[in-house]
Amino acid sequence: MMEDLLNLLSQTLVAAVPILLASVGEIMTERSGVVNIGLEGILVLSAFVSSLVTFNTGNPYLGLMSGALVGLLAGSLHGLISVHLRGDQIIAGVGFNTLAYGISILGLINTWGHHGASPMVSKVPLTGGQAYLSPLLPVALALALACWYWLFKTPAGLRLRACGEDPRSAEAMGVNVVRARFLATLLGATLTGLGGAYIVVGWIGQFTRYISAGRGFIALAIVALSGWNPLHAIAGSVIFGFFDAVSLYLPVKMQLMNPGLNLTSLTYIFRTIPYLAVLLSVSLLFRKGRAPRELGRAYVRE
Amino acid sequence: MPRSSLIIEISISVLLSFLSGYLMLLVMGYDASRVFTIVLSDALRNPHYLMIRSTPLILTALAFSIPSLTGVFNIGGEGQFYLGALLSLMVSYLLGSSPLALATGCASGGLLGLVIALIRVRRGVNEVVTSIMLNWIIYFLLAYSVTMHLYDPMMPYQSVSVPKAARIGNLDLGPVSVPLIFPIAVLTSIAMYFVIFHSSLGYEMRVVGSSPKSARYAGFNPERVIVISMALGGAMSGLGGSLLILGHTHAIDSTMSGLYGMGFAGIGAGLLGRNNPVGIVLSSMFLSLLIIGGEAAELRAGVPTELADVFIGIIVIVLSIPHLARVIVSRRVAS
Repeated sequence: MMEDLLNLLSQTLVAAVPILLASVGEIMTERSGVVNIGLEGILVLSAFVSSLVTFNTGNPYLGLMSGALVGLLAGSLHGLISVHLRGDQIIAGVGFNTLAYGISILGLINTWGHHGASPMVSKVPLTGGQAYLSPLLPVALALALACWYWLFKTPAGLRLRACGEDPRSAEAMGVNVVRARFLATLLGATLTGLGGAYIVVGWIGQFTRYISAGRGFIALAIVALSGWNPLHAIAGSVIFGFFDAVSLYLPVKMQLMNPGLNLTSLTYIFRTIPYLAVLLSVSLLFRKGRAPRELGRAYVRE
Repeated sequence: MPRSSLIIEISISVLLSFLSGYLMLLVMGYDASRVFTIVLSDALRNPHYLMIRSTPLILTALAFSIPSLTGVFNIGGEGQFYLGALLSLMVSYLLGSSPLALATGCASGGLLGLVIALIRVRRGVNEVVTSIMLNWIIYFLLAYSVTMHLYDPMMPYQSVSVPKAARIGNLDLGPVSVPLIFPIAVLTSIAMYFVIFHSSLGYEMRVVGSSPKSARYAGFNPERVIVISMALGGAMSGLGGSLLILGHTHAIDSTMSGLYGMGFAGIGAGLLGRNNPVGIVLSSMFLSLLIIGGEAAELRAGVPTELADVFIGIIVIVLSIPHLARVIVSRRVAS
């Protein structure tokens, strides 16, 4: 029993990391006034590239870096479209998700000739003995804390938030709104890319089709639930990491306890748990009207 | 926007997506020219199949476009499509009636759209997030139903089949055989054209979309209009799922590959058709051509069908920048 709890706790923290990285990144982006619906695409694309790099080099840390780089590139594309070209941010993100799924599966089949999954790649070694933990957990937590401090305790963070609330006044106060929004989009996407790479080299150990499974959107929901605050996002990510872990852990555990049971189909029911949890919590707990006021609106300099 | 710049905008996005698709194929080491010939020519040789494949896309495109007139993004077309397919399969299997099955498909998709819109209007939660959560929940429920309760004991890799009496067949017109689901989709699209451009509801929807403030000032209730448009959109996607099941696949395979991605492709078709029901019929046929081409390319050149996703994704990304077409056009005029 004790061992089960410890196992579930470890899995919760392992599953929380990518959601935390993506949601903290997106908080930075949204605080500047840009919304990036393409988180899901960044997760899946960086997961694919990091599996490719790790497979070829045998070095999961290079995999992590390449994932972050994919995020950076995706962020510059999204920033270019939504900040410089004043495109529709939601539509651009939706298009990017479709594109990223397409490229990652095309690449999967082209590289390994397999429709479902890549071979196993080397992972970032876990630490912590019985309660195995990823060394990336403290990194993600530190990043969340740093983002919180930067956003709410430094003048630069205040200026960034001003870009999302009232860009015209921010510009009048000497802030370069276009540059700030672009950089915030880059930063957010880079963190998300790191999260996508982590899914492969820190958690699952291989790339599979649709590996992100909606976690990018779960992160978007957590951004809203957190009230755009990285500290609350830590709590949110751990809670949804728990539901994620339960949905994967419970059927395995039940199968072990009753070997005669055929649970293959029932796993589908378990897999709905994290999505149901998100749906119920956003519709019951979300308090209206705390989003950055100019979120999703292009800024036109006069 | 004048029609000429609209056509330029759409051409640019299609050309850019072909160009990047071509480069991508070269990088991956395929014979890109051969793949392109296959992709662009294959569907034209089989108009019957093109009509069948366009049918669900027309409806999922309407599912995206009708709500987006009011400024709401229905990304839930995928889940609404699954639910429409699943419930109309059950109804047709149990009752053997195609009209009842179609009505069930419509109603179930509409109900999902309604739920998403109510959460947005009442609780202020962005519809994109709730849509996607519902997509996944329904995806897993569908997988559960098909593998656990609705499977065919003789063919365990697929669900029970639609009985012969409830199937929607073809109309033979000499050289071509028209699948009846296609005219149903086109007529639905024309009906939506009249709803959007020649009814008071459509007028309210367009006003709410362009300016919720002036809509409120004019005495409209934006929340009510948003909810109606989402329910109508969801009903379209549900109908799309029904038509596919009743008129083409007659069953759901256990991997659900016949259903997957249709709702997302509909977003591309809706945008490419510029949210106009008549444009949507054309854009859906064009994207179906790419999708069928993708299937043919897989069979004959070994390129994964997901190539079509790459094309559609790039088309959507480029269409998100209305500014881009104007920049390119004005530069050309200036030089």
